[in-house]
Amino acid sequence: MSDALKEKPNAESLPKSNGAAVLIDGHYAPPPADKDGKLWVRTSARIEAEPQQCYDIWRDLENIPSWQEEIVEVRRTGEKTSHWVMRSGDKTIEWDSEILADEPGKRIAWHSIAGDAQNAGEVIFEKAPTGRGAFVTVLQEFRMGKLATAWETLIGRNPKQAVIENLRHLKAMAETGEIPRIEPQPHGQRGTVGEMKKSLYGEKVPVPSGTKERVSA
Amino acid sequence: MKAVCWMGKSKVETLTVADPQILNPHDAIIKITRTAICGSDLHLYDGFIPTMEAGDVLGHEFMGIVEETGKAVTNLKRGDRVVVPFTIACGSCAFCKKQLWSACDNTNPNAHLMEAAYGYSGSGLFGYSHMMGGYAGGQAQYARVPFANVGPLKIESDLPDEKVLFLSDIFPTGYMAAENAQIEPGDTVAVWGCGPVGQFAIASAFMLGAGRVIAIDRLPERLQMARSIGAITVDYSEEDVDVLTALKDLTGGMGPDSCIDAVGLEAHSSDLKGLYDSVKVALLLETDRPIVLRQAIQAVRKGGTLSIPGVYGGLLDKVPFGAAFGKGITMKMGQTNMHKYMKPLLNRIQQGQIDPTYIISHRITLDEAPDMYKIWRDKKENVTKIVIDPWATKQAA
Repeated sequence: MSDALKEKPNAESLPKSNGAAVLIDGHYAPPPADKDGKLWVRTSARIEAEPQQCYDIWRDLENIPSWQEEIVEVRRTGEKTSHWVMRSGDKTIEWDSEILADEPGKRIAWHSIAGDAQNAGEVIFEKAPTGRGAFVTVLQEFRMGKLATAWETLIGRNPKQAVIENLRHLKAMAETGEIPRIEPQPHGQRGTVGEMKKSLYGEKVPVPSGTKERVSA
Repeated sequence: MKAVCWMGKSKVETLTVADPQILNPHDAIIKITRTAICGSDLHLYDGFIPTMEAGDVLGHEFMGIVEETGKAVTNLKRGDRVVVPFTIACGSCAFCKKQLWSACDNTNPNAHLMEAAYGYSGSGLFGYSHMMGGYAGGQAQYARVPFANVGPLKIESDLPDEKVLFLSDIFPTGYMAAENAQIEPGDTVAVWGCGPVGQFAIASAFMLGAGRVIAIDRLPERLQMARSIGAITVDYSEEDVDVLTALKDLTGGMGPDSCIDAVGLEAHSSDLKGLYDSVKVALLLETDRPIVLRQAIQAVRKGGTLSIPGVYGGLLDKVPFGAAFGKGITMKMGQTNMHKYMKPLLNRIQQGQIDPTYIISHRITLDEAPDMYKIWRDKKENVTKIVIDPWATKQAA
């Protein structure tokens, strides 16, 4: 870096590169393109919390069904392995996952090792610039298969959007301790068009509970 | 319970629906004692706002008594009397911390819909389309209020409901419009639209130091109301009245220091430009009719401020951006950051600085609401503001 500009009172030293390949040599890099049956999604959220707190929510595997859509069970099967169950309507798919990297407060990377789903991903937890909370960035890839197909056809939400929504849920959990929801709520007769639009409005996807406990006093 | 439901364009019905229930730890259930129809509800009635669905419970201006609280609600208890802000805010995201409550990150369950249209999602709103959260509204006997520690304003004095009800939306909205107008002592402020928000913008402009307020509308009862609180009025529908000329005549040729567009996307006009927009909207080439916006950009003085509390929803055509740039004007707008204004404005009411009930023209029951939507939309019966008693069974006097 030249010293042509010396007055930068709040600038942070520029990271050469960071997690999920958003920056390479100080230059923005777009997410990987979908090809050869592989879908990529990269999404990030700025969260009013410490990176460690966000990491802790994500790393608590057994609690993942409380904030990830359609995941009904995550069971530890070994030090680094877990069994995942996803249910949508009357369809269930299951897979095993292995953690490839685990840096507390910083990064988790994983891939699937067996079962109905082929996916891999990493999530990066960083301090946001000038200490404004945390940046959480997820980079995930899917192979087209039962997982992606089940998501798209049953949930009416493609797997990319599901990753985005799950990160949104994590943010809501970290910032408020609950996930916003409207179902079930009072309404008049929806009519046929209304029924069809339910998936558009995300009303076919149950919002994860956000909690293990009953909510009313 | 009974609730006023949107059943399609120009179709509103009062139906019996399920009672709301607590869904999240910070929820409260409010037994509604007074609610109102907002001018912006007419945009829904006329089908201007996308992602409304048949069966949606309408209404975003309401107050009542706390009936039940979720286990994380600590500020309120059963029996408290509260006014509920129409924007829902979590109180803990980066935007709430900056007092940008209507930009809250964590209250729109359908944020993806709004992200697709606007880039980012604002806060959830009551009764104002699925894109804005899909929350059931308050033209009903009960409502579920999320983040009850943050939003509802407790009313501990014996002020009657009607005096504080408009803290739920239109008084803060009119006040923020005046604040956004960046009024300096003695300034001249022009306000388009003398409906409820316009009335409170006029009142607030005076409270914030305006020397002269010029109110523009076509309905005699509204212009009369504006004059009653001290504004000069211009009826744009009168023969030979040209608003731009009128504003020059009333400001020594300089133009108003600030202009407030309290009309929004369904502006009316009697000239050719109005027809142009109606045709384009009908052909789906444009979603909004920005007649007032164009006029206000033209009218404001060089270096002046344009404040926009009127709702715009989509795509606008022929907006004179060159004039905005050429004069170096400032534009401020957006959904009201309700939570910032409710308490200070309650104090103004308690101190007797303003009695917001002056705008009420009609008091009705829930069953009368569907007819009143039509009457108001068609600008009949001199409607300025409709207040609903959701428990009344026949029309009160």
